[in-house]
Amino acid sequence: MSLSASERERYRRHLALSEVGAAGQEKLKAARVLIVGAGGLGSPAALYLAAAGCGTLGLLDGDRIDITNLQRQVLFDTAGIGRLKADAGRERLQALNPELRIIAHPVELRPDNVRELFAQYDLVLDGTDRLSARYLINDACVLARRPLVSAAIHRFEGHLMTYVPEQGPCYRCLFPQAIDGVVANCAEAGVLGVLPGVLGTLQATEAIKLITGVGEPLVGRLLTYDALDMRFSEFRVTRRRDCAVCGDAPTITEPGAMSRNTEGAEPIRRLSVTALHERLERGERPLLVDVREDVEFAAGHLDGALHIPLGQLPQRLAEIDPASEPVFICRSGGRSMAACQMALRANIRSPANLEGGMMAWAASIDPAMKVV
Amino acid sequence: MTCTVRIASPLRSYTAGRATLEASGGTLAEVLDWLEARCPGIRFRMIDEQDRIRPHMRLFVNSSEAQQLTTAVADGDTVHVICALSGG
Repeated sequence: MSLSASERERYRRHLALSEVGAAGQEKLKAARVLIVGAGGLGSPAALYLAAAGCGTLGLLDGDRIDITNLQRQVLFDTAGIGRLKADAGRERLQALNPELRIIAHPVELRPDNVRELFAQYDLVLDGTDRLSARYLINDACVLARRPLVSAAIHRFEGHLMTYVPEQGPCYRCLFPQAIDGVVANCAEAGVLGVLPGVLGTLQATEAIKLITGVGEPLVGRLLTYDALDMRFSEFRVTRRRDCAVCGDAPTITEPGAMSRNTEGAEPIRRLSVTALHERLERGERPLLVDVREDVEFAAGHLDGALHIPLGQLPQRLAEIDPASEPVFICRSGGRSMAACQMALRANIRSPANLEGGMMAWAASIDPAMKVV
Repeated sequence: MTCTVRIASPLRSYTAGRATLEASGGTLAEVLDWLEARCPGIRFRMIDEQDRIRPHMRLFVNSSEAQQLTTAVADGDTVHVICALSGG
């Protein structure tokens, strides 16, 4: 795929690099890259890949722009609030580089559309904000033999790893299983706005390296970044022979198979602090189970809450009536989600997770509540 | 044996926000017991009821992965606690 005169001018700094040159730039022009999640990671990744001349760029996100996105999602601006991210992002990228084919996918990635979408691209970047989506993307990439550059962030910390079929471990080799809620998301925990800028830019770097065939990709290596310490660390990760999707005897043979099974087995209710407050105000008395540690419980707790620290829960599940539909509570919603999972495995019916935990309760309902 | 433990961001609510702690112990199990004594509840976030490392956690001694709690920890080593992150 040869370059036009205007493209030669636009990419002159790339052409000056012997490692890229005209041949590398032509590979970029021919490349088809899908960015899943037009958020903090996807924004800088998309901007740099568009600027670099990645010929076909897909932007997949079903959400609309919210004002709270603008602290880190540099693909968007204030005038775009309320618009679909995929559409607004496509316009921004097309304005940056009219030479490209930018495709907006304003949809949510699901087990029933992932195969068709991934078939249109050669390389996938994961910038999603849910663990369930991360596993869906990973499994689909392994099964469709697509390289994947995966990044994730939390507060001041970020992770990056690249998967190339037959060459190294996949995301599921790194973390075989994780459930949303066990790990707090950015909305609950906060995130330094510039953090995804670093990780998303690294994702774009990996993508360009894979496409042009230069350098050493981050295969079999987990890169971690701590912005507070300004420290990058690297850890060797090997393929798991027992990996459920890329191992010697895989049990996942279609994308989303595991998540569907998991969803079916996990009727965990999500309860907001406002909804719980309304129930209590109406005189309802749901069983409240506070799974925080002694010192946290002593500082302040909801009236009548049964106190079972998470570490003791496996031995004390018998104290919870299986038909009581308990509400599990912790500091911010992570441990209580783990408690819900345990309760379900013990056949306790319809447990609820108090979203945001006591931090949310103190912020929205009772400012006098002391949370440590 | 004295080692440094680097704590994953999602678990720092147990360490009063501290990213690193100076711990003691000759094995990973002993280091985690030391941690648990000072940061109650943190061990259960990493290790399940059957003493297995949870599938969304990875532990490294220096840059080598530790898959067993019997893994030796030497004086001056760094134990890295890595947790799956969900944010994007």
